[in-house]
Amino acid sequence: MKPYFLFPYWWRYLGWSLVVLHVPLSILGRAHGMVSVMDNGPGSHGLFTGEHLFFISTALLMTAGLFLVAFAKEKIEDEQIWQVRLDSLRWAIYVNYLILITSLVFIEDVGHILELNLWVPLIFFIIRFRWVIFRLNRSLSREGDHEK
Amino acid sequence: MKNNIRVERAIKDITQAELAEQVGVSRQTINTIESNKYVPSTVLALKIARVFNKPFEQVFMLEDED
Repeated sequence: MKPYFLFPYWWRYLGWSLVVLHVPLSILGRAHGMVSVMDNGPGSHGLFTGEHLFFISTALLMTAGLFLVAFAKEKIEDEQIWQVRLDSLRWAIYVNYLILITSLVFIEDVGHILELNLWVPLIFFIIRFRWVIFRLNRSLSREGDHEK
Repeated sequence: MKNNIRVERAIKDITQAELAEQVGVSRQTINTIESNKYVPSTVLALKIARVFNKPFEQVFMLEDED
């Protein structure tokens, strides 16, 4: 199988820690009166102001974390995993565009549509990918009883 | 496409895990190929046939709907 670029296996843990780190940071920021740039539209406060740095440390941290989780290698990265990966990406794109188009038609708040678009494909991809792998493992352990 | 991998494995007396290791895939992949849920690539199918020392057509065969 031809090699293609993915992050090393253990980077997924780095990704999860970034995602987890995002939660207290954004709660802390909001408690101190920081409003997400998304609430007012990106760039409305200028670059590298408090609001902008808060935006970088939360939204981008979360996105980078999800990205690492989604595109880290599996322990054994073979052709079936590759196919599941592609299939999950296809579904993620379908779902993303469905939500994007629906929200463009029905929601006026463009800032939050951007935020949605930033995360929906990655989150949906991760859920679908892990779910298929979970099902593969489950069918293996069920058949494992017959395996000598 | 269906296959005889389960039978061939029994003849050669190797487990799914051993076959998986010899062709460089996960045990899940061998398992799904055996239960006809996944059609392997040509390269992987040829590798599997080579492990059993059999011609390709004796391990993998087309079905009517293919």
